[in-house]
Amino acid sequence: MVDADLIVVGAGHAGCEAAAAAARLGATVVLVTLHRGTVGQMPCNPAIGGIGKGHLVAEVDALGGLQGWAADRAGIQFKVLNRSRGPAVWGPRAQCDKTAYARHLRRVVEGLRGLSLLEGETVGLLVDDARVTGVRLAGGERLRAGAVVLTTGTFLGGVLHTGEERRPGGRFGERPSTELGRDLDALGFELRRFKTGTPPRLHRASLALERLEAQAGDPEPRPFSWRTRAVANRALCWLSRTPPAVRAIIEDNLHRSPLFAGRIEGVGPRYCPSIEDKVVRFPHHETHTVFLEPEELAGDSIYLNGLSTSLPADVQEQVVRAVPGLERAVFLRYGYAVEYDVVAPRQVAPTLESHGVPGLFIAGQLLGTSGYEEAAALGLVAGINAVRGLRGEAPFVPDRTEAYLGVLLDDVCGREHREPYRMFTSRAEHRLLLGVDTARERLMATGSRLGLVPERVFHVEQRRGERRRQARSALEASRLNPDAATRRRVKALAGVELAAPASWAQLLRRGDVDAERVAAGLDELAGLDPDERRVVVGLLRYDGYLGRHERERERLLRLRHVPLPADLEPHRLPGLSREVVEALERERPRSLAEAERVPGMTPAALAIVAGWLAREGRLG
Amino acid sequence: MATAFSSGLSSALVGGADTIVARATAAGRGALAVVRVSGPEAAGVAARVCPSLSFARGWRATLAGLFDAAGRELERALVIPFPGPRSATGEDMFEATLHGSPYLVERLVEACIAAGARRAQPGEFTRRAVANGKLDLVQAEAVRDLVAAQTAWQARNARAQLDGVLSASFRELREELIALAAEAEGALDFAAQGVVAEEATLAARGGRCLQRLAGLLATAPAGRLIRDGMRVVILGAPNSGKSTLFNILAEEERAIVSPRPGTTRDLLECELEIAGLRLVLQDTAGLGAAADELEAEGARRARAAAAAADLVLLLWSVDAEGPEPAAPPGVPALRVRSRADLAPEVRPGWLRVSCHSGEGLQALRAELAVRAGSDVVDLGGAVAISARHRAALERARDELAGADWGQLELAAERLRWAIRALEELVGGLSSEELLDQVFATFCIGK
Repeated sequence: MVDADLIVVGAGHAGCEAAAAAARLGATVVLVTLHRGTVGQMPCNPAIGGIGKGHLVAEVDALGGLQGWAADRAGIQFKVLNRSRGPAVWGPRAQCDKTAYARHLRRVVEGLRGLSLLEGETVGLLVDDARVTGVRLAGGERLRAGAVVLTTGTFLGGVLHTGEERRPGGRFGERPSTELGRDLDALGFELRRFKTGTPPRLHRASLALERLEAQAGDPEPRPFSWRTRAVANRALCWLSRTPPAVRAIIEDNLHRSPLFAGRIEGVGPRYCPSIEDKVVRFPHHETHTVFLEPEELAGDSIYLNGLSTSLPADVQEQVVRAVPGLERAVFLRYGYAVEYDVVAPRQVAPTLESHGVPGLFIAGQLLGTSGYEEAAALGLVAGINAVRGLRGEAPFVPDRTEAYLGVLLDDVCGREHREPYRMFTSRAEHRLLLGVDTARERLMATGSRLGLVPERVFHVEQRRGERRRQARSALEASRLNPDAATRRRVKALAGVELAAPASWAQLLRRGDVDAERVAAGLDELAGLDPDERRVVVGLLRYDGYLGRHERERERLLRLRHVPLPADLEPHRLPGLSREVVEALERERPRSLAEAERVPGMTPAALAIVAGWLAREGRLG
Repeated sequence: MATAFSSGLSSALVGGADTIVARATAAGRGALAVVRVSGPEAAGVAARVCPSLSFARGWRATLAGLFDAAGRELERALVIPFPGPRSATGEDMFEATLHGSPYLVERLVEACIAAGARRAQPGEFTRRAVANGKLDLVQAEAVRDLVAAQTAWQARNARAQLDGVLSASFRELREELIALAAEAEGALDFAAQGVVAEEATLAARGGRCLQRLAGLLATAPAGRLIRDGMRVVILGAPNSGKSTLFNILAEEERAIVSPRPGTTRDLLECELEIAGLRLVLQDTAGLGAAADELEAEGARRARAAAAAADLVLLLWSVDAEGPEPAAPPGVPALRVRSRADLAPEVRPGWLRVSCHSGEGLQALRAELAVRAGSDVVDLGGAVAISARHRAALERARDELAGADWGQLELAAERLRWAIRALEELVGGLSSEELLDQVFATFCIGK
C-alpha cells in the first residue's frame, strides 16, 4: 500500500525537475519541502546559465526539463558569453528575477497532475529488506512509495557562518535538516562536509550606480527554451572593483574569518572563492572585479557578485563601503558561508540510484555538485530513472561523448571529489561536438522517446536540423569561378580576392573573412534565421576537428562494448602497479571504457588490461 | 582538458604479479653468474633456496649456502637481499652471485622455481620497476640501451637517459604545454569573470614550446647515428683496392666482437667503433662494365648498398684508366685516391691513400671520425632521442604548429592532441590536473 510512486525530498532546482519529470511521465509524486514558500529558491546568484552551466540548461531543456523555460519567463537580462568564439563554447546566461523564477517553478509543481506538494520535515527513510519503501516525517507520519529521490541541497547538517557567529541553518533564515543526515549515516552512507558561500545583498537605493559602468544584455536576446517564443532585456547590471585598500582590511581581520580561523571544516570550491580566499591566494592582484546584479525586477535587493564572504558583519561593511559606488551601502543581508553534508561520490550509480539502498536516488547539491544548473540536470535524470526503475524499464544514462549531462554523471559518480563539482567546458573531451547549438539534435529524440518532449516539437527540431544540413551542403557545393563579376561580388561581400575556383564553404572557413557578415548575404543560407546561420557558419570552421572527435567517440563506444569479466582478478594481471590493482578491485569497472575512467588509471595500465583481454580472446 | 586518454591498445606485457627468477648475466660460461629473484614470495623462495639468508639484514652481502630443489647444497655464494620497496624493481628481491657454471646456474633457477618462482620473461624486471614507479618508460628504454651498448656514445647516451635527463626535458615540455592549455581553457571557461588570454601572448608561448620541441627533435639524427651507427660502403671499379682498404680498416680499428644475434656473419661487412660511434663498414664488388652475369649482379648489389649507406668511400686507383668516377647521387661521399704510392699525382677533392705505404690512412680515419661524429658533437649534455620519441614529438609539434590562436577553442583542441602525443612518453593527464593549473593562476569569482 503506497501513498505515491515516488517521493521527492526537497523542492529546490533538483527536486522540482525530478518531481515534474516523474509526474509528466505519469507517476504519482509527493514533493516534500520544509516550507512551501521556498520552492524553487535561488539562494545565491540570481542567474541561470553561463559557460558550461548554460550547456546543461540547454540539454535539460532539450529533454523537456523546466529550468530553461523558467529562466526565460523570469529573465531580466540575457547574454551569450563567448559569443565572439565558436558555437561549442557559447554560454547562454540569463539574469533572473528570483522571486518570479521561484513563482513559475512553484506554479508548475502545484499544477501538475499527479504531483502533490507537501510541507514537512523528512527525518528518516523507511527501508525494508534493504530497499527503500518511503520516508518518515517529523511528527511521526510515514509516507510510502516505490522510490525516493533525495534532493536536500545544503540542508543536511547545515551550519551557517558569519564571522564568529555560527548557527544551524540550511539557508539564510531557514532551519537545517539534522535527523535525515543521521539516518543516512546509519544506513552506511559516507558523508562529507562541503561548504559554499554567498555574498551580501545591498539596498539598491543606497548605491551610487550611476557612477559605475553599466552592462546591458545582448542586443538580440535569445531564449533558452523551445517553449519560449521571445525574451527581452529588462534590467541593467553594474561593474565595480575592490580597491587595494580592501586587501589590508581583510588581512587585518583574517583571524575573525571562520574559514581561516579553522571553524569551518567543510571544503569549498576552488573556483568560487570568497573575497578573503582571493586576497590570501592572489595577494599580487590589486583589485577584484565585482558585479552588481538586481535580484528582482522591481525590488531593492542588489546581489554583489564576486564578493562572497563569511567575514564578520562589521568587516563586511568596511570592505563593501571601500568599493567605489558602494560607499553608503546599506546591507539587506550579510554574506555567509554554509557548511553541509554531502553524500560521498561513488555511492551512487550513474543512474543516480544509490548502491547501498535500491530505490533511493540522490541528486543535486547533496551529491556534491554546486550550482542550480548541475542540480537541475541531476534532478531530471534522477526523476526519470526513478520512474523507469519502478516500471522495469532501462535507465537513462547519457554518455559523456554525447552530452554534458553524461560528463556530469560520469564525473560526479565515477571519481573522487574533494570539493563541490561545477561544470566547465574543459571537462568535456568532446567539447566541439557538444555545443548548445547541438543540444536539441543530440537529445530531443530521447526526450521525445521518454515522453517528456511533444512529438511535434521534436519534428520541428528535426526539420530545422534538415534545413541546416541542406544549407551546409549548398555551401559546400557552391561553385565560384574567378570571372570578373564573381570576383567583384566576392570582394564586396567577403573582402577577399578570389584567385581560384572555390566554394562558399571554403571562403567562410578563412580566418580573414567575417563569416557572419558574409553569411547574411548568401542565398544558400536564405532559409535560415540568424541563429541558424551562425551555427552553420560556426561549424564550418570546426570541420577538420570534428572528424577526429567522431573517430575518438567511436573508439570509446567500441571500448564501452568490451566488457570486463566480473571475475577479473586485477592482481593477476601482469605489470600493474599496486595502486592500479587496488583501484580496479575497488571500482570494479564493467568495461574497458569504465576502466579508463577509474581514478589512478594510466594509459599504460589500460593497455595492460586490454592486452590481457586480447590474449584471453575477449577483445570484441 | 578531459581525462586520461588511452594511447591505444599497445602490445601486452607478458608475465605475472608472481615471483620471478632469471639469470641476469649472459648465457654461456663465465667466471661468475648472477641470478635474480623478484616478487612477493622472494623471501619465501630464499627460505628454501638460501635458508641462511635473512631479509631482516637487507642490502648486506653474505656468503651463504645455495640449495637445489632436492635440498642438496649446490654452492656457497655471495647473496644479497633487497627488501622492497628499496630494490631495483620495488618488490622484495635477492641476488646471488655464484660461479658461472651453466649447470650450477640452471640448478639454482630450478630450485627457485620449485620454491614457487617462475622464469622471468625478457625485460620483466625492468617492467616491474616501471610499474612500481622506480623508472619511467624513457628510463626503462635506457636500461635496455645501456645493456646493449657497444660503443662509447651508446653507453654515454644511455647513461644520461637512464639518469633521467631526457625524462626531465619531456616533463618540462609537457608542463609548459599544460600551462599554455590552462591559460587557453581559463579564457574559455571564465570569460564571464573577465579572464582574458591575449592572442599574441598565447602565440608567443606556443612559439617557445615549438622551439623546445625543435631542440629535442634536432637530436634525432644524432640519436639514429648513436643507436644504429653509421653505414659506410666502399665503392669503386674492380681492382681499385677496396678489399685491401677494407681489411686494413677492419683489422686496425677496434672491431666490435659480437655480431647482432640472429644475423649470419657477412665476410664483406664488419662493425667498427670510430670516435665512439658504431660504424658498419661494407665492402662491395667492383662497379664497372660487367664481364658476365655474376659481375653484373655484384654491381647491382653494390649500387643498392650505396643507396642505403650513410657514407660512401669512393675509391679511384691512381693507376686506373678512364675518367674520374662519379659518386652515386643522394649519398655523401669521401673520395679516395687509392694506391697512392704508385704515383705522386694530387687531385683536389680526393684524399691520397696508400695501404702499402700507410700514406693518408691517418687522415682517412680522422675524416671518418669527423663525418661520423658531426651530428653527435653538437649534443653537449643532451640525450639524443630515439625513433619512438621522434614520432611522438613530431606529432606534438605538428599539432602545436597548426594552432590558430584566434580561434581559441580550436587551438585548445590542438593543444590537447599535442599533450596527448606527449603522454605516450611521460604519462597521462587528467582534467583535474589542468583545472588545478587554471585555478592556481586565475582569480575566479562566482
